[in-house]
Amino acid sequence: MRSFAHFNAATVDEAVSVLRRYGGKATVIAGGTDVLGRMKDEILPAYPEALVNIKTIPGLDFIDEIDGVIIIGALTRLEDIALNRAVQASCPALAEAARRTASTHLREMGTIGGNICQDVRCWYYRNPDNRFSCLKKGGGRCYAINGDNRYHSIFGGSVDQGCYAVHVSDMAPALVALDAAIKTSRREVRAEEFFKVGMLRTTILDDDEIVTEIKIPKPVGWSAFFKFALRKAIDFPIVNCAAMMALAEGKVTEARICLNAVHGTPYRARKAEEVMIGVSINEDTAEAAGSAAISAAIPLTKNGYMVQIAKTMVKRAILACNCPDKL
Amino acid sequence: MAVAAKPGYSCPYCATSFNTVDDLKDHVLKVHGTEALPRPEGYVKLTVNGQAWELEVAPNWTLFYLLHDQLGYTGAKTFCDRGACGSCTVIIDGRPVLSCMTLAIECDGKNIETAEGIAAAKHPLIEAYVKHHAMQCGYCTPGFVVTAKALLDRNPDPTVEEIKEALAGNLCRCGTYPQHPIAIIEAAKKVLAARSENTPA
Ligand SMILES: Cc1cc2nc3c(=O)[nH]c(=O)nc-3n(C[C@@H](O)[C@@H](O)[C@H](O)COP(=O)(O)OP(=O)(O)OC[C@H]3O[C@@H](n4cnc5c(N)ncnc54)[C@H](O)[C@@H]3O)c2cc1C
Ligand code: SF4
Ligand code: FES
Ligand code: FES
Repeated sequence: MRSFAHFNAATVDEAVSVLRRYGGKATVIAGGTDVLGRMKDEILPAYPEALVNIKTIPGLDFIDEIDGVIIIGALTRLEDIALNRAVQASCPALAEAARRTASTHLREMGTIGGNICQDVRCWYYRNPDNRFSCLKKGGGRCYAINGDNRYHSIFGGSVDQGCYAVHVSDMAPALVALDAAIKTSRREVRAEEFFKVGMLRTTILDDDEIVTEIKIPKPVGWSAFFKFALRKAIDFPIVNCAAMMALAEGKVTEARICLNAVHGTPYRARKAEEVMIGVSINEDTAEAAGSAAISAAIPLTKNGYMVQIAKTMVKRAILACNCPDKL
Repeated sequence: MAVAAKPGYSCPYCATSFNTVDDLKDHVLKVHGTEALPRPEGYVKLTVNGQAWELEVAPNWTLFYLLHDQLGYTGAKTFCDRGACGSCTVIIDGRPVLSCMTLAIECDGKNIETAEGIAAAKHPLIEAYVKHHAMQCGYCTPGFVVTAKALLDRNPDPTVEEIKEALAGNLCRCGTYPQHPIAIIEAAKKVLAARSENTPA
């Protein structure tokens, strides 16, 4: 790994001020599990000149519950989220997403802030020494579109088209389904908006902005998370899905369903949500919602198999939300 | 991991390169007349298996490089060097973590335990691993043992499922997986027995 300057930030303001002074040439490091991999392989044309360690900022590693609202500090490790009683009781989708991420070691290191800000895993993009200078790195073409795209987007290119890399976070779809808000050093945005950016970035964060807290409003219903991966541990999702369903008299009154690893941003399955409103949760309705979720799929040459998996993930997540007594 | 022979610190205002953080700091103060960049780090105080160290480390040293190549704690091994195999596991403040994905410079004030410490303390895990021969080539074994030690510290009576879950991040190319829960359950019993002996009735 090549060298860089290193700063231990003592406060959020200090982190922001160092980032601002480096104007895009410095990178935040939290658990480091994503950023150090990127640096060791030198995948990007530009190597960071400085790392700003935010683990030294006190008060960002906590889980609080206030009147049913769960607030999680950006530095909270995924293992702590997975094992937290309050999270398990009111936001099972989030606890399960954390539990299914990577491996014990990576969950003991990886933070929720880092998880939602992690970079894509497209294997052309991640190839060492910037071997493929693709569109996402400011190069001329996408190598996946005519290459091996078995783990790429089944819902078309990113917002400004062109890049087919998927967002692989396991926590992100759970946060979108639970309608969480992401608080940064300068604003608060809803989880869904946080990821809506063009292909050159993975979040709306400015160069000198950091995530400080994640707020989950009191859930309106039971939630569930499902992940399909080739291996049980240390494996990114092929497809994952989180859902939350509010029920009244056996009928769904509110539905939020979010897939991930299928598109450049977490993919809200709105058509599936529409199917579920006003009906009860059963095999047939969940099946119909699964089909609706993938109605807009346009798979690439090698990832057609993901479409059926996405449908099944949606179906399973919906069925698992049928627990009216648990909340 | 290769360590750059000459660390370069470049100025955020004019991109001039410097060899040391101190040179960069002087430059920023004198040439640009700004406030100093906050505390560039370099010195760390940490404890490894009970022994205190005060060291100057380069920003790009991983904890693995510091322990293995600089301090001679060669128990931890690197296999993937990318966070995907667990063979470099050490315990930091009670958590089993990957030393290949941890920067040494960020370990100030940390309490670190390695396979050497576990062996020196004659932890029952060592004997159980030998007895059940939970290894073939042995390369991954320290990573498994350290992970198992962290598990037993928190959960002295784990089920086979809990053991499998805790070890899910440790890869073994020789495929010794079935032996680990056997060895760990046996060690757990000894740890529990030793504890109840030490607690006055
Ligand atoms: C082998 C392996 C397997 C993995 N498997 C999975 C998996 O199954 N599912 C999954 O979701 N992920 C997986 N990951 C990705 C893993 O890195 C994340 O899960 C982890 O949570 C990232 O957190 P971190 O704190 O280590 O992030 P870092 O590496 O510290 O940071 C990641 C990125 O976010 C930025 N960042 C971090 N914190 C903040 C903040 N507070 N504000 C602004 N920016 C910030 C950093 O600048 C960096 O760009 C895996 C990683 C590895 C190496
Ligand atoms: S999918 Fe995106 S990241 Fe991958 S090669 Fe194409 S442009 Fe690059
Ligand atoms: S060498 Fe650190 S996880 Fe593989
Ligand atoms: S014993 Fe050889 S890699 Fe595990």
